[in-house]
Amino acid sequence: MAKIIVVTSGKGGVGKTTSAAAIATGLALRGNKTVVIDFDVGLRNLDLIMGCERRVVYDLINVIQGEAGLNQAMIRDKRVDNLHILPASQTRDKDALSAEGVEKVLDALSKDFDYVICDSPAGIERGAQLAMYHADEAVVVTNPEVSSVRDSDRILGLLSSKSRRAEQNLDPVKEHLLITRYDPERVSDGDMLNLEDIQEILAINLIGLIPESEAVLRASNQGVPVTHDMKSDAGQAYTDTVSRLLGEDVPLRFHEYQKKGLLSRMFGGGRR
Amino acid sequence: MSLNVDRAGSAFTFKGGMLPMTVMELISADPERIREQLAGKLSQSPAFFQHTPVVLSVEKLDEPHLALERICAVCRAHKLLPVAVRGGADPVKQSAWALGLGWFPPQEERTRALESVAPSAPAEAPQPTPEIQGAVGSRIHRGTVRSGQQVSAPDGDLVVLGAVNAGAEVLAGGNVHVYGALRGRALAGIRGDREASIFCHELHGELLSLAGNYKRLEDIDPQLLGKAVQVRLNDDQLTITPLV
Repeated sequence: MAKIIVVTSGKGGVGKTTSAAAIATGLALRGNKTVVIDFDVGLRNLDLIMGCERRVVYDLINVIQGEAGLNQAMIRDKRVDNLHILPASQTRDKDALSAEGVEKVLDALSKDFDYVICDSPAGIERGAQLAMYHADEAVVVTNPEVSSVRDSDRILGLLSSKSRRAEQNLDPVKEHLLITRYDPERVSDGDMLNLEDIQEILAINLIGLIPESEAVLRASNQGVPVTHDMKSDAGQAYTDTVSRLLGEDVPLRFHEYQKKGLLSRMFGGGRR
Repeated sequence: MSLNVDRAGSAFTFKGGMLPMTVMELISADPERIREQLAGKLSQSPAFFQHTPVVLSVEKLDEPHLALERICAVCRAHKLLPVAVRGGADPVKQSAWALGLGWFPPQEERTRALESVAPSAPAEAPQPTPEIQGAVGSRIHRGTVRSGQQVSAPDGDLVVLGAVNAGAEVLAGGNVHVYGALRGRALAGIRGDREASIFCHELHGELLSLAGNYKRLEDIDPQLLGKAVQVRLNDDQLTITPLV
């Protein structure tokens, strides 16, 4: 049975899809058979981040409506053998997602895969609730700013009341906090919320901290999940996050502001 | 949206439930006497008469015909909502149904036996007082109350073991205790209890309200923010004092 992990946030633009792609890639690189599903029907992005947009024929909605089989719709990743992508539909809207259909797809995938990663749409409406409903674990992506933290708080409330585990009185969904776009320099200047404040408000376990990084934008535009860029700080931070998801104890990195030394100031600080 | 509804494709589900219900044991069938007694009770404990659902028990009465419609009207006039009748002969059952009320068969012999042991019990049916209600309706919430969530204890005290985050709301008929940071809204004494208070470990509340009087975060002395405080009502003014 696969572990179903939803990547969610409430707020848009905080890095859900980037994180879903990076985590799925990381899990597959570690030898786990992984599929990542785009639940953002109508605003499909995951295929772009994963660099497979030219190979999309069928999508999640086609599968749900019986117009295509799962194996026809799933795209095998070119870089990692164990990784598959199930894209969303760009032409339909969220009403095409049915609860029964999602359940059927997830049940089928659970038999063949070790990990099913659900990339949730923003918001707290139907699409987001269907993406989280079957989750065993949740990665709540939060930026260091007050509106993002409040929306994450709202999503955590929904996870504890509107998920399958909550409704069937099973063990609750395991919640993880993933802080993205963290800029230690701006945190030390007081422009951004710091790590401790976010953790205090949300009161859940921190699974990772991804620093604000040029590598993320570059990776998105090239269609290569940032996990492949092991020279970058963001790539390393996502790799750490995956290790923690797999139960390993990895110390936190990239959260402290280091004043630039003379050399790095002269030579532009090198590649981030 | 409810996922359950969507999944089943049905409009509702039936569920068994045990709800607390006040039984009004009639000793007299005279609507006028009932009216007099109710008027007295209403002035004693107004909090109890909030369209409270009651079951009219006529087991102690020996009359085959009752002025059920008038009795119900008297109850409604005093903010009691008769929902069903218990006991009585067939004509009573028929008139209950005609009035849109449910009908329950008389209670079993076992409870009769108990009542005969304590013969004074039916004559002095326990009167619900606000204090007893408070003890019964209290609620403890373990964990953080998150944005968008509402936790309430309308008939008693509410104790939150955790934080109340911004955008969350906690309500109680009695006191509100927050053993953590209060960042959301806290409303105590929602049924008009002016003695109700709010207690919290760390005050950042968006809104504090006691018996309908309120203070917004903006109105709170910044010196008190982040402190452990109690909030009480003094002449329609909320007074916030640090807990030592």
